[in-house]
Amino acid sequence: MAKKLMKGSEAIGEAAVQAGCRLFFGYPITPQNEIPEYMSLRLPQVGGCFVQAESEVAASNMLYGAAGTGERVMTSSSSPGISLMSEAASYLAGAELPVVIVNIVRAGPGLGGILPSQGDYFQATRGMGHGDFRLLVLAPWSVQEAADLVQDAFDLADFYRNPVMVLGDGLIGQMMEPVEFSSDRQPIKELQPKTWAATGCPGDRPTNIINSLFLDPEELERHNWKLKAKYDAMTRDEIRSASYAADDDYDVLIVAYGTVARVCSTAIDELRERGVRVAMVRPITLFPYPYQAIRDAALRASSVLVVELSTGQMIEDVRLALEGARPIHFHSRVGGMLVTPDEVIEKVECILAGGAAEVSHG
Amino acid sequence: MYGRRITVLVGSFGSGKTEIALNGALGLAAAGWTVTLADLDVVKPYFRSRAARAILDEAGIRLLAPGGEVAHADLPIVVPQVRTALRDPSCRLVIDVGGDGTGARVLGSLSDVLPVADSDVLVVLNFRRPATSGAEEAAAMVRQIEAAARVKVTGLVSNTHLMRETTPRVVLEGHRMAVATAEILGVPVVAVTATSDVAADLAGEELGCPLVVLQRIVLPPFEQPPQTRTMGPLFVVN
Repeated sequence: MAKKLMKGSEAIGEAAVQAGCRLFFGYPITPQNEIPEYMSLRLPQVGGCFVQAESEVAASNMLYGAAGTGERVMTSSSSPGISLMSEAASYLAGAELPVVIVNIVRAGPGLGGILPSQGDYFQATRGMGHGDFRLLVLAPWSVQEAADLVQDAFDLADFYRNPVMVLGDGLIGQMMEPVEFSSDRQPIKELQPKTWAATGCPGDRPTNIINSLFLDPEELERHNWKLKAKYDAMTRDEIRSASYAADDDYDVLIVAYGTVARVCSTAIDELRERGVRVAMVRPITLFPYPYQAIRDAALRASSVLVVELSTGQMIEDVRLALEGARPIHFHSRVGGMLVTPDEVIEKVECILAGGAAEVSHG
Repeated sequence: MYGRRITVLVGSFGSGKTEIALNGALGLAAAGWTVTLADLDVVKPYFRSRAARAILDEAGIRLLAPGGEVAHADLPIVVPQVRTALRDPSCRLVIDVGGDGTGARVLGSLSDVLPVADSDVLVVLNFRRPATSGAEEAAAMVRQIEAAARVKVTGLVSNTHLMRETTPRVVLEGHRMAVATAEILGVPVVAVTATSDVAADLAGEELGCPLVVLQRIVLPPFEQPPQTRTMGPLFVVN
């Protein structure tokens, strides 16, 4: 297929269709409206079904019902809408239903604003809803990677029977880049038939029941440990990260994800041209988090700089990775303001000149 | 493209109207015109003309767009000065309309004051966009826009590109489809656009219309060259 120039939202929608998603339930919210808009046009063309629900609560529970049939299903929203879906996310994880949830993050808290943010990091990586569960979280830094990760997300959701979130800041949804879809993409996991799905039972097998209610505490404890074993398997097998300019020696290691990592890559290119030794590690999975890759890369540097569009959320995972082994510095913009390459350059130079204060612990 | 007092840019979502409107307004201002740019985009929430307010201010271009905090909102606001500018025979006006028929409906609401004889209504076409991959689709889209905008399109702008990955071949393939669309609709292709590097490679080509060189302004912050390095919401210059 020839390369297309796509908005991130369109690429996410098309990637879902290419991955076999035929059912989408959603409710409008900026800056992700182009995803349901695209799906509402595209799904009828491939025999699928698009439903605009009356709310995010309804959309996410429709997702639960549809996922129970074994079909590939997706919803998308932006921060406040994702909060409304958090109850359903817990039920989905409890009932072990494979779904893909896309969050195109806008600035908060509350209604906040409609410009880009990474303020939903805690919400995405710490379970999203009540109870003891995890989402597998993928964070693209380009429109092409958003398309690729959405397709992977469906395979991962099916393989683990767990909700997978694709987390992009507002820019990922709205910016345009060339995208290519492979015509012979193979699943990234070995997938089994969905024998658990509720597809109608003529009496030749025990009935399948989709449920997250376990009144017997012994049974629920077993269920909790079963879920934990899945999260452990994700942590063992699914961690992804990428490094940038890390083949050469460096003094400062930047840790950033999403489009902020793009900003940092521009800054690194310009700093490297001036002979400043700086590199980056970019988490692609936010859960499971690439603690070891970040620790290994950081031990080659004298300082670490975390850059994100929040007042400091991912930095907690970087601290866990480093356990005090290197000083950590921090730069961020919030409220919909964006970090610029110049700000990153200035911060790195300040760190190297000894003029930047280390982030205090505690 | 800019032969008449008013240049209206319409087209499908993401076809490049804002880029061409900004380039057009800046080009006219550089040629000595007093220019007004009206941002009528009620479709997309980011990368609108109003986000280039600082660039336009510096060039002395008057921007008609929601101001204050609602400049960043996704509300369908059309400032009333647009109607005055349409009526004012001394106002050199470039209008950036939102995408698809949905965006063109705003123009429909202004059609009672749009002086047809003084206006070029140009459709921006990028055949690498998913919604318009062929001439028939593009022509259907143009008819949809005309119906919503209550105005006839007078010309097409051949704007096929893949951002940084644009090659002369990408432009020429798109241009062939633009010419086919023009034949279906019975209107001319008034310009082909390309950035300076690609335009240099197209110099010898028989295009049948002027080649307009574009400076890419509508870019995320990490793609901006140092001289237009951005700060704050999207592509606002320092």
